[in-house]
Amino acid sequence: MFSLLYRMVRDRALAEDLAQETFVKVLNGIKSYRPEFKFSSWIFKIANNAAIDHLRRKSIDTLSLDGAPSAETPEQMRATSLQLGDRAESPLAEVENRELGTAIERAIGRLRPEYRSCILLRHVEGYSYEEIADTLDLPLGTVKTYIHRARNELRVYLEDRRD
Amino acid sequence: MTDNTMHLTTDEIELWAQGLLPAARAIHLADCSLCRVEAERERKVILELVQLPKFAPNAGFADRVMAQVKVHAPSGDWTA
Repeated sequence: MFSLLYRMVRDRALAEDLAQETFVKVLNGIKSYRPEFKFSSWIFKIANNAAIDHLRRKSIDTLSLDGAPSAETPEQMRATSLQLGDRAESPLAEVENRELGTAIERAIGRLRPEYRSCILLRHVEGYSYEEIADTLDLPLGTVKTYIHRARNELRVYLEDRRD
Repeated sequence: MTDNTMHLTTDEIELWAQGLLPAARAIHLADCSLCRVEAERERKVILELVQLPKFAPNAGFADRVMAQVKVHAPSGDWTA
């Protein structure tokens, strides 16, 4: 589950926070668990929702390189602008670069979050299409489409890299 | 029954990559260079995906989780 979160948000510390949030929800909400649902699927569902919620918030909060839209003065623009160099220099960023820096990991990181969840559940966690549909509350046909498109995008990206 | 002149679907290519393609369709694959190229490209991606490592959170993660979990006191004397 941590691997899924880490590959979804591509930030180790954040993935730990989301994993912690997931387990706390699972353990505190154990009474709401329905036994007809696979336990691991229930955990993955909560984890995936946490990751998708985070990514949605992040896309809303994304700052432009020139600062937040609300910034009006040069000082406000500087204060809210994206500092590209900051994370690349930290030891944690080095670990992340090592762990997620391979071509296939970078290619996964470029997929849409919905495609990423599906492809990771299918080929990394070994879920069947039906289990993914149950876990992510998606129609079976949508899951198949997402997985096929994701594999196709990965293939194109990896083949371009080799050329 | 599947027409054996039809090219493999993406589902069938995935079955082939897992060694689960029915023999009748494997005959088509053996005879069709288009499908073989497509299947081989797909297999490479699937192989890269299934070989991805699993990551683990840092030490102390379980303790941090348990520190936030509400532990309910047992109602009644369950040791009796």
